[in-house]
This record gives sequence, C-alpha cells and structure tokens, in this order.
Amino acid sequence: MYASVLSVALIGGDVRPVRVEAHVGGTTNSFKLSGLPDTALREAKDRVRAAIHSSGIEFPHRELTINLAPADLKKRGSDYDLPIAISILAADRLIRRLPRAVIVGELSLDGKVRRGGSSLGAAVMSARLGIPCLVSREHAAEVALVPGSEVHPIETLADAVALLSEGLGRMPMQPEPAAAENQVLPDMAEVRGQVLAKRALEIAAAGGHHILFHGPPGGGKTMLARRLPGILPLLDDASSIEAALIRANAGLGDVISPIPPFRAPHHTATRAALVGGGTGIPTPGEISLAHRGVLFLDELAEFPRSHLDALRQPLEEGRVLISRQGASQEFPARFQLVGATNPCPCGYWGDRRKPCRCPESARQRYRQRISGPMLDRFDIAVHVKRVDGDEYRSVDGESTEAVLRRVLSAREAQMARGALNRDLSDRDLTGLPISNIARVLLVQSLESGAITARGAVRIRRVAQTLADFEHSSVDDDHIAEALSLRGSW
Amino acid sequence: MSSEPTLLSPGRGGYPPGLMDLEKPPPIYVRGAVPSGVCVAVVGTRRCTRYGLEIAGAIGRRIATAGWVTVSGLARGIDAAAHRGTVEAGGRGVAILGSGLDHLYPRENAPLAGQLVGLGGAVVSEYPAATPPDRWRFPARNRLIAAMSLAVVVVESKLAGGAQITAVLAAEMGRPVFAVPGDVGREASEGTNQLIRDGAIPIFGAEDLIAELSLLTGTAAASSPSADGDIPESGVDIEDLPTLWDCSVKEALARLGRLEIAGKVARSGDLVRPVTRYSA
Repeated sequence: MYASVLSVALIGGDVRPVRVEAHVGGTTNSFKLSGLPDTALREAKDRVRAAIHSSGIEFPHRELTINLAPADLKKRGSDYDLPIAISILAADRLIRRLPRAVIVGELSLDGKVRRGGSSLGAAVMSARLGIPCLVSREHAAEVALVPGSEVHPIETLADAVALLSEGLGRMPMQPEPAAAENQVLPDMAEVRGQVLAKRALEIAAAGGHHILFHGPPGGGKTMLARRLPGILPLLDDASSIEAALIRANAGLGDVISPIPPFRAPHHTATRAALVGGGTGIPTPGEISLAHRGVLFLDELAEFPRSHLDALRQPLEEGRVLISRQGASQEFPARFQLVGATNPCPCGYWGDRRKPCRCPESARQRYRQRISGPMLDRFDIAVHVKRVDGDEYRSVDGESTEAVLRRVLSAREAQMARGALNRDLSDRDLTGLPISNIARVLLVQSLESGAITARGAVRIRRVAQTLADFEHSSVDDDHIAEALSLRGSW
Repeated sequence: MSSEPTLLSPGRGGYPPGLMDLEKPPPIYVRGAVPSGVCVAVVGTRRCTRYGLEIAGAIGRRIATAGWVTVSGLARGIDAAAHRGTVEAGGRGVAILGSGLDHLYPRENAPLAGQLVGLGGAVVSEYPAATPPDRWRFPARNRLIAAMSLAVVVVESKLAGGAQITAVLAAEMGRPVFAVPGDVGREASEGTNQLIRDGAIPIFGAEDLIAELSLLTGTAAASSPSADGDIPESGVDIEDLPTLWDCSVKEALARLGRLEIAGKVARSGDLVRPVTRYSA
C-alpha cells in the first residue's frame, strides 16, 4: 500500500517541494530509503522506527520502501523524519484520509518533534501552494510570519497523527512579531568626528556602493561598518524571507528579519565558508548570508588573495556558482561590500601623530595583496583617521534615523530606474543626464591623470547618487565630490 | 559713456596683472573696471563669414557663462560678435582700443562698449582720450590683448591680419593660442588654418574651448577661478576643511575634488597638502 507526503528541500535562497513516498508490502522485514539521502537522512530509519514505537503505535514489520522524489535532488538533514513517519503510517492505513499538507520535523526517539532547519521552508511552501504546513512548535510562531502561510505547531508524532486524522480542524498559529524587530542597531550618532567617513558611508548606503575604509588601527572602521545596516532600507517581505531561507539553509535558524543582514567573516575563514561549498551538498557561504545586506571584510589585505578573487564573480553577478562533479549549485549573493584595511603593515602610514615604520616597498607589497580588479569594485574609498581624546571638539553626529531618511529619499530615483547606482554600467550611464560642465570636469580629470577610464565610471555612479539625494541630474559639484571620495593610500 | 576714464599705472590696484608680463607695461586709461578673473581673448578678421560670426558669438557667450572674462578689440566682425555674445550672456568683457576712449571706433560699436561697461566690464586704451583712430596704432594694441589674456582664440583670420599678429605675440609671451579651423582656400580661414599648422590648438566649438581652458586654469568652468584653497604649506587635516573653508562637508568635498583634478593639492592619509609647481 502506498502513501505520499509533501515536504521541502532548501536550495540556496529557495525552497523546492520534495515528495516523501512510502510503500508497505510483502512479509519480509525490511526498511529501504532511496532518493540521494545523506548520512543524517539515512539514520532517519532508526529514529523513525523508535519514535513510532515510543508513540504507542505498532511499527509495520513488513517490507518498507521510502523514496524521496525528485530523485536527482540531493537531500540532507533530519527534517524528513516526520514526513517519513507519517507516510509510513498512512501507507499502513493507520491514518486514513491524509489531508494535503507540507510536513517537516526531526523526531527524537521518544516521539517528540524537534527543532529542525526546514520549518521556514515549509511555511514558504505552505504559502506558495495554499495548503497548511506542520512544523515543530518551537519555530511555529516565527515562521508563521510568512505572509499567506498556514502554520500548525506540533509537539509530538502522536500530536501530528491526531491533527492529520481530524483533518487539520484546529486554528493555525497566529504570527508573533519576531524578536529581530526589536533588535537595537548601533546608532550613527555614537560615531564622534569622522565627518568625512560618515558622509561617505551615507552615500554608500544611498547608492549601494561598495566602500573601502583605510586608515590606522583604532580608527573606528569597524564601528562605521556596523552602522551601515541601520541606514539601509528595510527588506521587503520577499527579501527578508529569502535572506532567512539562506540562513536556515546554513543552519542558522529561522528568524525572519527585515533588517539587512550584516556578516563579518574573519580573514582566517576558509574559502568554502566565505563563498559557499563544503563537503557533500554545498552550503551557502558568508557572501550568501550577506545577500541583500552587508558583507564586511576587516583587514582586507590579510585575506588570501585567492579568496578575494573568488568574490569577483559574485560581485559582478549577484550570485555564486558552486561547481561540483555532476551538478552545480547556485546561491544568491547580492551584497554590499565594506572593506577595511590598514594602509601598510604597521598601520600608521598617513597618520600624522604616529610615524609609519614601513619601508615604501613593504607598503607597496601590502597594498598589492588586494588585486587591482578587486580595488576597482570599490566606488568609494576613504581614509578613516585615528580617533583621539581631543575628538570631543567635534559635535555629535546625526542619528541613524536622520541619515536613513535621506538615504530613502535618494533611493526613490533608483527604484524608478530599476537599478541601484552601484549596478549602473557604462552604457546605463550614457543614458543618464549630466550637465556639460560636469562632462568637462570629468574629461579634465581624465586628461590630468587624476582618474582612469575605469575610475571615471565609478565616479559617475557616485555622482549619480549625489544627484539622487537632491533629486536632480549630475552636475560638476557632484563629479568633484565623487572624485574626492576616492582617497588614495 | 558718461563716467570719466581713470588712468592706471602699472602695479597699481586694478591694473591688469597680465600686462605686467610686457617688457614695458604702459599706463592705461580705463572706463569701467577691468574685472579680475581669467581673461580669454577672442579675436579675428573684420571681413569674416557668417560661420565665423556664429562661432565667435557662441564662444563669447560660453566664456561668460563659465564665469570668465572675454577680451577683444571692439573691431567689426569677429571682435564685435565675441563682445556681443558676452553681453548677451550677461558676462564681463574688456574691449581694448587702438584709439583714445573718446574715439570709439567703429562708431557703430559704441553702444556695445557701453553695455560692456554696464555689465561690470571695461573699455581700455593706452592712448589719451582724444587720440583719433589711426591704422598704425592697431597692431600695437594687439600686444595688450595678448598680454592681458590667459589664452588667445582666433576665430577667423586672413594670412596677414591683425589677429595673426595677436596670435604670434601671444605665443611669444607663452600664452596658448587656439584657432578655429575653416575651409581650405577661403580667405577668412587662411590665417587660422596656418596657425594650426604652426602649432595652434584647433578647437571645434565653444564647449571644446572650455574643456581645453579648464585644463589650463585648473578650475571647473563654473567655479570661481581664484579658488586655490588657501591650504597652508604644512597641510591640513581633511576633517578640518569644512572649518577652514567655512562650508558644509559636502561642499568641502566637492571643492577638494576640484583642487585634486587641478593637481593643486595632494592627499596622503588624512592630510591635504598644496602642490607647488612651476607655472608659466
């Protein structure tokens, strides 16, 4: 006898349906599992058997075949325990009329449904198909935030059997605001002085520009970077769910948050941790976890150059392709890059209060650790100076809220154009208005050697953002300011 | 032309600094006031074509909108067209005469001279007010036109015209010479085409000229030409620029950008330093 239950697999930032099919027949006692399962999934057999016993239900000692379809999709993890158990019980006619529902959950040996990684995926699938889903009670309140989902919390296998047998008659879970909405982000007003860096950060936020901070240690490069998510627009529903799905896929929980993600991997992170991969089924890396948010790479020059070069394709395309023998896996990776680096090995080059001890050759070598094409990604590069005690002379800056208001206003024009300014190509830019004097200034800076042709494109992008703040077209002041936001080091 | 002309001796306040480059800077009679700022001479033949008139007018207008000063000789044809363009754009211009200030020549351009003075420009001569126009004095005033200007633009000129003389004098004084190319074989373009062959920079329109001049002056066309930043030799902290210039961060950054383009300042870390370089 046959039954099937709908479950899900998390793939990158997306969810795919997985059908768990069970067939019960014959008289020999066997339990087979097919459909590209990983180790954790193969162990499901033992957990399911024990959980069914512990729930006081008799396990069918017959020939059991479980298949996870589609067979070419690699599945992993323990979240198929519950759908496997339910499909066995339905095939054995212990549940008579199985309602259509998406089911996920790991089973403990005593029959409890545990927190697993796919609850959010189940809720998304529930909304997409317009059918209910069953998830562990622990997650239910969070994932019920997915608009259009119908989430039923369950605590035990017996609970699930009862709920399905009575045709899901109970009231579904009411969504509860996620804890993330009350999350307190660090405020811009806490950054003393650094007027230049703060302005640069605001412009970067408005145009989505990648930004590089350079300067001596203790200058507050990290402090500034951490304040970027707060001055970025909140994610819309679809984007926050996408970001949450990626986190869930990486095993980082199910919390749906509208705050753009902020990821700050250490320079000792492996390449797989950074761009995704790992043994077996590829998992999303830091760049995908930063999707629709901020990727902060502190001590940029300390990252292995090969790791940095691996960022180039994602920076270009907003996604990363993990190639594997047989199949390759794509993860979304549209992030805003914030880089921070010391200007030289000792860190004090360009600092007026403390002399730099590095020979010029050492500084050059240090600089060259970051490849030219990588440096070219940064539309904005500013020096962040060391903050001393005497910074109190400077007035306290504006709050995150005030800055965000301007950023949102500058984003309006970009939304109308359909692209962030950082994504404007040379060709896009040709179509955008720019005053004659601005053009002259641009030509002039090219001819004077102040910028390169590639630099000119970046300056035009930043100038466009400056114009967007004022809801005007690009003029010479915008070009001049954009140029000054590329401090050399 | 009601106001009395003033006599300015070399080195006195208001005396055009460019004239100090002459071997013997003459005292000059001025009606109105010679504007400070970047002066650009626009000169050419009296017997010009419609093409020449149009371009001279456009250049005069564009120099005005760039905030610079047009210098010419008030003659018929190209000179008058350039002055007229400047006046149309509400800009400042200087007319340098070969006669005394009481003898505006040609008479038909007298109103134009009045407009120049009215808009903050000046009419200048090195001769006493009553000096009548004499053909032999005109080449002499050309050296004043060349000296006063940062650069000379010749729009249309015959092979042996006064504009050619101005161009040669300018080149001898190290002023860059620009020329508008014209038809081969046309008299009014023979001079300019020859200048191009001799090394003058060909320009293809007003905008082109502005772009070239911006390179020379090191300022954007719209910015005030005197903006050298007042940055002390010892350098200044980039964070202190808004205080130094008494402006917003945004304005300070834009101004810094211009100075960088002009190669007037260099940055290392948080320090902005002036770049001292040889200037002609």
